Amino acid sequence: MSSTNKILVIFVVAVVVVVASLTVVYTYNPAPQRLIIATTTSTVDTGLLDYLKPYFDNKFNANMTWLYLGTGQALQVASRGDADILLVHDRVRECAFIASGNGTLRVTAMYNDFIIVGPASDPANARGTNATAAMINIAQAGASGTATFVSRGDNSGTNALEIRLWTKAGISTNGTWYVSTGSGMAPTIRVANEKGGYTISDRGTFYKLQSTMNTTLSLVILCENDTSLLNPYGILLLNSTKYPNIKSDLATSFLLFMISEQGQSLIGNFTVNGKQLFYPIYGNPESIGLPSENATVTYLNSLLKSRGLE
Amino acid sequence: MSGFEIIVEGFMRALQILFSGDQEILGITLLSLRVSLTATLLGAAFGIPIGFLVARRDFHGKSVVTTTINTLMGLPPVVVGLVVYLFLSASGPLGFLRLLYTPEAMIIAQMILTFPIVCGITISSILSLSPKLKDTLASLSAPPSWEARVLLNESKLGLITAIIAAFGAAISEVGAIMMVGGNLLGYTRALTTAIMLYTNMGEFATAIALGIILLLIAFGVNLFLTYLQMRSRIRRTT
Repeated sequence: MSSTNKILVIFVVAVVVVVASLTVVYTYNPAPQRLIIATTTSTVDTGLLDYLKPYFDNKFNANMTWLYLGTGQALQVASRGDADILLVHDRVRECAFIASGNGTLRVTAMYNDFIIVGPASDPANARGTNATAAMINIAQAGASGTATFVSRGDNSGTNALEIRLWTKAGISTNGTWYVSTGSGMAPTIRVANEKGGYTISDRGTFYKLQSTMNTTLSLVILCENDTSLLNPYGILLLNSTKYPNIKSDLATSFLLFMISEQGQSLIGNFTVNGKQLFYPIYGNPESIGLPSENATVTYLNSLLKSRGLE
Repeated sequence: MSGFEIIVEGFMRALQILFSGDQEILGITLLSLRVSLTATLLGAAFGIPIGFLVARRDFHGKSVVTTTINTLMGLPPVVVGLVVYLFLSASGPLGFLRLLYTPEAMIIAQMILTFPIVCGITISSILSLSPKLKDTLASLSAPPSWEARVLLNESKLGLITAIIAAFGAAISEVGAIMMVGGNLLGYTRALTTAIMLYTNMGEFATAIALGIILLLIAFGVNLFLTYLQMRSRIRRTT
């Protein structure tokens, strides 16, 4: 055998040995059960799930992982049986998901709010107005060529809210002033930043980007604290009869963890740059003007009690 | 911070990560290597023999097959990812295998990308061998296994090129493994998908650092393969 052939053989053998041993290590390491959460981009981009993971993993000997999707895609993936649980933010579609029989239970776990952000020079005069007026102003400035609106355009929860606001304001978004990125919240904010445009973001993702991008993020908050900009996050259990392969026990544990006293206070204590990004609201959605969830809450409270998780 | 400063900071971060042995990044790097090397080897295991057969045999529709394989060399990773996702999804035809969001699913998707690359380059390098060599083999009425050995040995340069190209496509690909792997932390998060995530989160320096690690890996593997290529060329010319 020539020396080149020898090296080739040694190389192939080495690669096979490495791959085989890695596979053995991965397969026979008694790994904790893996939970797959289908979630919206904001819970990932803000770092909330990274922050909660060690607490959940330790408590339930689990391995919490997540799929980074918009709410629309997350619901789609879950309805195919490809995720164990949902943590999303579009109440309308969440309720439809439960009504269709894909899910068995929905509870509001936390909230924050949406904000309209744009360039500090604010050519559309969106600052300080209510959300509907801001949208009208942006569209008018857009039509006259002085403003751009950057939309998620990805069927996400934020995108759904944005479309509701346009509809409410009676505005058609056909025009060159309206740009659709088709991507997550953070990338969309960065596009708006580059173009000096306006966009709607959840407060958490915007704060997170402010902290990572520092002065390179020149957008500012122009419109906030409007009840139509409220952003509640729901957790949905999937129908384990319909999807027998999902880890429904671990999924229930995750839901209970999130609504337990420990989970709720962890959510409330999560800050980026000293700013709180999510507000726990389990058991009290009425306080932010949402319909009561009394029946679900009573049931979940008994479940919490029986598992000693209060 | 200017773009240039971010790149410099990313470079420093890369050095820091390389020398501190960050567990999470080490895991991501090992996963990338494991997935892409396996996909390249499997792609070669199927691509070289099939490419050899296509090049050596005369059959009806040979040009159609060759053209198809050459076209598939440019398969868009996202399309492969989407199709593999739909097949492996719990409600898809292969859902019972429970392979979605596993490294194995990533290997399958990347193998679909590497196979036509290896196969196509194998075909062209066998076809471009000197006709004199083929005539000699025919006149000696060499047994098929012997013939295959000689021809594959003579086209070694091309075969190594095929493996370099296939590995390059696999390790740098993001669309397919994002869709079928799901970018799950500590399990299916690879270098390219992690770069996308860190970029989304605005953590550009970490993203650049991972990019540098990716480049170093590609450089290391190619250095080794190129070394083999050079050696076989030197031996042939002397």
